[in-house]
Amino acid sequence: MPRWRGAAGAAAIVSCAALSSFATEDPGKAAAPRMEFVPLAPGSYTLQKIQHVADAVLLDSTGHSVRLAALTQGKITLLTFFYTYCADPLGCPFAHTTLAALRDRVRRDPTLTGRVRFVSVSLDPTHDTPDAIAAYAGEFTGDPPFEWRFLTARSVPQLLPVLADFGQDVSVDVDEGGRATRTLHHMLKMFLIDARGEVREIYTLAYIQPPVIFNDIKTLALEAGRQAPSAADNRR
Amino acid sequence: MRIVHRLILCIGVATAFSVGTLAAYADETCNSPYMSGLIKGQEDFVHVWTLGVQGMGDGSDKLVTIAANPTSKSYGKVIDKISVGGRGEAHHMGFTDDRKYLWAGGLDDSKIYVFDVGTNPSHPKLVKTIVDLPVKTGYAGPHTFYALPGRMLIGNLSNTASKDGVTGMSVYNNKGDFIAKYPMPTGDIRQVKGDGYGYDIAVNPAKNALLTSSFAGSNNYMRDLGELIKDPEAMKHFGNTMVMWNLKSMQPEQIFAVPGAPLEIRWALPEGQNWAITATALTSQLWLVKRDAGGAWVAKDVAAIGDPAKTPLPVDISITADAKGLWVNTFMDGTTHYFDLTDPEHPRQTYSKHTGSQVNMVSQSWDGRRVYITSSLLSKWDKQGKDNEQFLRAFQWDGHDLTPAFEIDFSKEQLGRPHHMKFTASPQRLASLTDAPAADAPAAAGPAR
Repeated sequence: MPRWRGAAGAAAIVSCAALSSFATEDPGKAAAPRMEFVPLAPGSYTLQKIQHVADAVLLDSTGHSVRLAALTQGKITLLTFFYTYCADPLGCPFAHTTLAALRDRVRRDPTLTGRVRFVSVSLDPTHDTPDAIAAYAGEFTGDPPFEWRFLTARSVPQLLPVLADFGQDVSVDVDEGGRATRTLHHMLKMFLIDARGEVREIYTLAYIQPPVIFNDIKTLALEAGRQAPSAADNRR
Repeated sequence: MRIVHRLILCIGVATAFSVGTLAAYADETCNSPYMSGLIKGQEDFVHVWTLGVQGMGDGSDKLVTIAANPTSKSYGKVIDKISVGGRGEAHHMGFTDDRKYLWAGGLDDSKIYVFDVGTNPSHPKLVKTIVDLPVKTGYAGPHTFYALPGRMLIGNLSNTASKDGVTGMSVYNNKGDFIAKYPMPTGDIRQVKGDGYGYDIAVNPAKNALLTSSFAGSNNYMRDLGELIKDPEAMKHFGNTMVMWNLKSMQPEQIFAVPGAPLEIRWALPEGQNWAITATALTSQLWLVKRDAGGAWVAKDVAAIGDPAKTPLPVDISITADAKGLWVNTFMDGTTHYFDLTDPEHPRQTYSKHTGSQVNMVSQSWDGRRVYITSSLLSKWDKQGKDNEQFLRAFQWDGHDLTPAFEIDFSKEQLGRPHHMKFTASPQRLASLTDAPAADAPAAAGPAR
């Protein structure tokens, strides 16, 4: 059976994120995702319609306001949450390394040209300013251009409804004095959204299997092709 | 014991499909292992989804919370209870993927209650009641609640039309909105016919595999056991199959003939393992579902549980985190068994103990040191008279013997019939995002790149 190992597979010690919130929990070693099967062919299955993405106003890496709906509709979108200083090998760095590899594969597929975007939304608007996310994004948005948008929010209160809508949990570690630190805990999730703004798949750590995600993207592209009105339809 | 004798007689004269039993899916090692926050140390609380009993307390189904950490001054005591305002045959529960919410189902009224256990697990709150399962799906009796990312996959037991065991799975998003339904197969797949029955669900993401089992419809599980076992026709209507599904497509790929109502399913999760295990209630066997040398899934019975001729009725099972051991409760003889699964093809019973007059659910902590047992099977199947003990019993397990730790008498405390258990732990050393320090505070984790 084919076997895929994530880039972070060798570094399986979890520091903070990806596991949440219970004091008596002993996170121990988190397991990198395993894949011991041949993924189904694109278009041979249907992805569930999990929920519609609610609109919100966020900030892009130039400091301009953007509507989230404008970045979750019109193209197939893979959206994840991150923060720039996350150091968990199976958290944000793993997510973005995986996304970068997927970006390269999408680029090589001519049927997906101009049809896919990635969106990364910071969990920490206090520290992840537009300048901070612009610096972070530089590593992932290169040439040839691929639409990978990095977003933040003006404030935590503006971000919270977005997190609630996606069901993205996040909490903050506190020090011995009970003061909040800058270590965030969150469950790593990636959201695959169709061009109509419907979440069609969610990948938590055990499900982050790039060949499957790629085929899911292709499946949505094929579905959109079937739904698009033909030239003959347009003439009628 | 009269019912037991009737039952044994019935099994002798009826068929292999005599009386089924419900149990299931309980403990830390048997949660969807792909959710966040598995408790690998000491649990603080045990939540018990409890069937209401008319005339006992308020008579309502309720979520009972018990302090389970020995350092607590309330250790071994009931510290909270939430009544849901009626009796709907409270049965099983399951956490959402983020472990913030606990979904609990009623097998009779098909309602699903969503409790917030993340904000303050010592005092859960009922935040939503989902009532549209029958209307949206035609299914009834929501049984297993299995977390998928952002969703809850629900294994149902019955349907609203005939009330027999032909049913399916349903999917809701974490907001409680219905998404999809998937009927259990009734046709042939590779020359094996499906019976359409459902029960437990177990997922293995690394293999893109979803395995289901089968039990009975509400016309059997909501019927008085004494009457049921005297009805030979009704006794034929129990599940005899397991199904392997493609998790991505949610399509059935293989049906296994597993006679005798296969109930709880547990995957061996350590890397390199290629098997899951279940127990059949009516035939009292452990069954292994395993990939053969050619990569095909096969199911085979690998060990007897107790003396099958005496119909011990294995109900809940609990696998150890390393998949080398398995607890099995047998309802009729009130016995808790431990099997060595080092060789899953040849399980060996290495320990047993009489733990009550009737025992059903068994839940162990992740480290295997603590084992919890509850007594109730179904409101109309529990034993009568003095054998109708209703309890939660906690034990310490040292690898050799179960030693009592504490006990809650659910009858004495006017609570009801205790069934499914789930663990939570107190959130500590965590703040909300709104408490994050100002931008000039030093970063604890440092830049990732």
